[in-house]
Amino acid sequence: MSAIPLDLDNTLERPGERAPLVLGKSDLASITEQVCEIAERPRPSREWWLAFGTSASLTFVLFAMLGYLFWTGLGVWGINQPVAWGFAIINFVFWVGIGHAGTLISAILFLFRQKWRTSINRFAEAMTIFAVICAGLFPAIHVGRPWFEYWLAPLPNQMQMWPNFRSPLLWDVFAVSTYFTVSLMFWYMGMVPDLATLRDRARSKIRQIAYGIAALGWRGSGRHWHRYERAYLLLAALATPLVLSVHSVVSFDFAVSQLPGWHATIFPPYFVAGAIFSGFAMVLTLLIPVRHIFRLESLITPRHLDNMAKIILATGSMVGYSYIIEFFIAWYSGNPYESFTFLNRALGPYAWSYWIMFTCNAIIPQLLWFKRLRQTPGLLLVISIFVNIGMWFERFVIVVTSLSRDFLPSSWGVYWPTWVDLLTFLGSFGLFFTLFLLFLRFLPIVAMAEVKSVVPAAGLELGPHRGHGQYWGEIPHQHDEENER
Amino acid sequence: MSSHAEEKGRLWGLLAEYETVPAVLEAAARVRDAGYRYFDVHTPIPIHGLDEAMGIQVSRLPWLVAGCGAVGASTGLLLQWWTNAVDYPFIISAKPYFGLPAAIPVTFELTVLLAAIGAFVGMLVANGLPQFFHPLFRLERFRRASNDRFFISIEARDPKFDPRATRALLESSGGRPVLEVEG
Amino acid sequence: MRAMVDLGNEPRVLGEKASPVVRGGWLAAGVGLVAALALGALSGQGWRGFFFAYLHAWAFFASIALGALFFVMLQHLTNAGWSVVVRRLAEAMASTLPLLALLFVPIAVGLGELYHWSHADAVAADPLLQWKSGYLNTPFFLIRCALYLGVWVWLARFFVGRSLAQDTSGDVAHTLAMRRRAAPAMFLFAFTVTFAAFDLLMSLDPHWYSTMLGVYYFAGAAVGFFASLILFSYLVQRAGFLRRAITREHYHDLGKLLFAFTVFWAYISFSQFMLMWYANIPEETLFYLHRQEHGWGWAGLALVFGHFLLPFLALLSRGPKRRKGALAVAAGWLLIMHWLDLYWFVIPVQSEHATLNWASLALAVGLAGALMASMLHRVRATSLVPERDPRLMESLTFENA
Repeated sequence: MSAIPLDLDNTLERPGERAPLVLGKSDLASITEQVCEIAERPRPSREWWLAFGTSASLTFVLFAMLGYLFWTGLGVWGINQPVAWGFAIINFVFWVGIGHAGTLISAILFLFRQKWRTSINRFAEAMTIFAVICAGLFPAIHVGRPWFEYWLAPLPNQMQMWPNFRSPLLWDVFAVSTYFTVSLMFWYMGMVPDLATLRDRARSKIRQIAYGIAALGWRGSGRHWHRYERAYLLLAALATPLVLSVHSVVSFDFAVSQLPGWHATIFPPYFVAGAIFSGFAMVLTLLIPVRHIFRLESLITPRHLDNMAKIILATGSMVGYSYIIEFFIAWYSGNPYESFTFLNRALGPYAWSYWIMFTCNAIIPQLLWFKRLRQTPGLLLVISIFVNIGMWFERFVIVVTSLSRDFLPSSWGVYWPTWVDLLTFLGSFGLFFTLFLLFLRFLPIVAMAEVKSVVPAAGLELGPHRGHGQYWGEIPHQHDEENER
Repeated sequence: MSSHAEEKGRLWGLLAEYETVPAVLEAAARVRDAGYRYFDVHTPIPIHGLDEAMGIQVSRLPWLVAGCGAVGASTGLLLQWWTNAVDYPFIISAKPYFGLPAAIPVTFELTVLLAAIGAFVGMLVANGLPQFFHPLFRLERFRRASNDRFFISIEARDPKFDPRATRALLESSGGRPVLEVEG
Repeated sequence: MRAMVDLGNEPRVLGEKASPVVRGGWLAAGVGLVAALALGALSGQGWRGFFFAYLHAWAFFASIALGALFFVMLQHLTNAGWSVVVRRLAEAMASTLPLLALLFVPIAVGLGELYHWSHADAVAADPLLQWKSGYLNTPFFLIRCALYLGVWVWLARFFVGRSLAQDTSGDVAHTLAMRRRAAPAMFLFAFTVTFAAFDLLMSLDPHWYSTMLGVYYFAGAAVGFFASLILFSYLVQRAGFLRRAITREHYHDLGKLLFAFTVFWAYISFSQFMLMWYANIPEETLFYLHRQEHGWGWAGLALVFGHFLLPFLALLSRGPKRRKGALAVAAGWLLIMHWLDLYWFVIPVQSEHATLNWASLALAVGLAGALMASMLHRVRATSLVPERDPRLMESLTFENA
């Protein structure tokens, strides 16, 4: 078949036609070649080593900070009374929020038959796993004595006591660990056919064995595919409410309290929208350079960037909506503490953080109304980084402003992070990027089997229309009998 | 014909290669109609309509998942009720020992967790995976099953299997080449 | 340009067949309204019961029309192909918004009965109402309501009008224009619906507040709309129209959406309830306390089971969503539950004890009749599918993968 020109603008979708999702030479073998080649390079590039060296060093910084924390105690952090939740909780919510994009792309967009997701879902799911690892770290360390962590599990222990299931902090334990487990299964299961491809292409013994074990002996059997697709659909159906529940539970940590600025009923959907917003921004932040470096422009086309930018615009607008509604109800409630908290956020000592948040989350993404910006990867990268910054500051605003000034002025306080806080946060980026670079080096970064099934070369588009692609079917008269029922 | 055909005991089956999805779909339907049971199709991508062409029964996996979910939900409720309201009741923040609204999140998470494990493990077990060795892996050509080619394998243990007739069927359905697989 | 799609001799214009239904609708409207007015006049407590019943009925039917408007805009926003064959039905439902705007007049008339904050003496005695009086006062309230209604009518006219214009011209420019405007229209929709819910529903109890309420009303509206669309498609097919155009694949998708929004409604209402239950702040929990006493608790329990658990189990598997008879039963049930949901929200403000407000039933019949009659009268000369929508073929041949 003839290749589709790489510079075709597939963001333009004339009504009644569907634009191609993959550009360039897109037969099955060339997709395999393009994706596997990345994981099969005999040695990584110098840039990879540079990035890996940097992030590995930062990971080392993280572990050094953790060692210092465990050795000395929580006093090395900036937390105090009244601000007992400092960077640890901010970072937790930040990372777990980022970890929502992967499951959104793989589960929710799957249920919505958005086939463009196939080029980016592997990537986003991997990012989800690593972000949730970084997220899980912070609650684990913020208790100060991590060797008592097992108290969180409902295990019969020497004290004859059980965890307090009425505490939202325990809900978090269940939500985040469930989310991690399910995301991992989803990611791994999606990867099995692609690991089999890598196994079948492997030349060295060690790669054959390693990919062979990881691929579980997958042989593309039609009987296997049948159950596999069923299981994938079921996992997607389970992961969809799960992904909504996780950030909702995180929002419960705040919203079940009585603290002004935390207790708002809109928190659950507002947090979920924010999580998807930040997650997509992080996907773009990582995807745009990777796409460029590995020359994946034919698989991750302008259309993919355009769609992701639109999702960022939509979710960013939902976040902006929540900011406005919260502000309005703070006034409308007539509750002086609520009103004060919101004025304090906008005008008080931490006003700078509020305005960073508002600008980055509610204003800058509105630039994405312009198609030209959605089409310029460099600018999109800049906007996505702004969103990452804004969403970190959103959590800063929520945690710090509400705690530092609550009901009683005599108990007000000020919070500033220490160098340990800052280096731990920086170190968590090191861990994230280290894991991510290893993923880029060794695993199939695009879901080959899924991309192959949406290109015309697969020949799947014959017969009735199946969600995407050309369709030349006839009006289905065969449905007549069924419809008579 | 090669000399392998005579060594009947060592023959696992035949493997035919196809280039396109419509070709393999049509061939699978013919193999099904010929009455074979121990045959399989190997493809790099999931193909809709293959289930029908192969005559696969619809998987009962959803029932397993629903069962696992029900177990997860009841475990979640019982665990929270028994630990916090029966075995060691204590009052905290003026909440009832067992208040349903506060028990929903953990119940929900456990439901999803067990159902998802059921879907994942159930799929692997029903598929007999992991299975690190399979006779098909002996063939160099079969490596393309995970890349860009479509295959049909018919096992020698099938009662209808006959080295010549089966080969003829596969060849007439467009399989090029048709290879023998050693057991 | 594509050739015009051949729908064959599929009956798709209601024509004279609509006339008996239209006449019946107007009759029901007359009977319902007269009965409700009679009940109001004869009741010992003045017109209060009537106006609450009227607000409830209006909020119910407005929610369905708004859900329809949302659906139409969403299909253009996402360039959806599957839904084209049912989109005209949704457009018909959205085009009841002008009549709903007219039907708003009794609410404006009954403002004094409905809203405590509209009385100067009540405001004078209540510092909280004084605080809010810059927002909750009769002129500003009416201006806002006029604004919401104006925006909705304007949006409905645009999306319905362009779609109808395409039937004759076949111009894809209409599709492109609707796609372009759908995104900003969503903004207008989100804010107007939210503040309409705040104003019309939340301010019934002017001390109570919930940031979630706009989303709550929207979630219920979506359930009510998808239930209505399924019923509408079912009835239209029963009458012999669109029998081949709307297939079980479309019902399957509509069933999925009905299921999804049922779960979404449960998520939103559980979150709102749980957060207030847990924080236990008197000014908030009063809302739920009141709705748990004097028999209202039964209505709440009926919602937990009837609006979530039962339909959740019924629609979970694939089978019922693909059998239109079963799906229509579930849709009818959820429509009643959506009605009960709003009843449970509105009527306890008027009546401390759980009662069946007979005027509510009469008005449900009356408004349903009026809206149905005007809707069918409007669409009877036009095709029930967007004849020349460029995505029509995609929709006709659509299959769930």
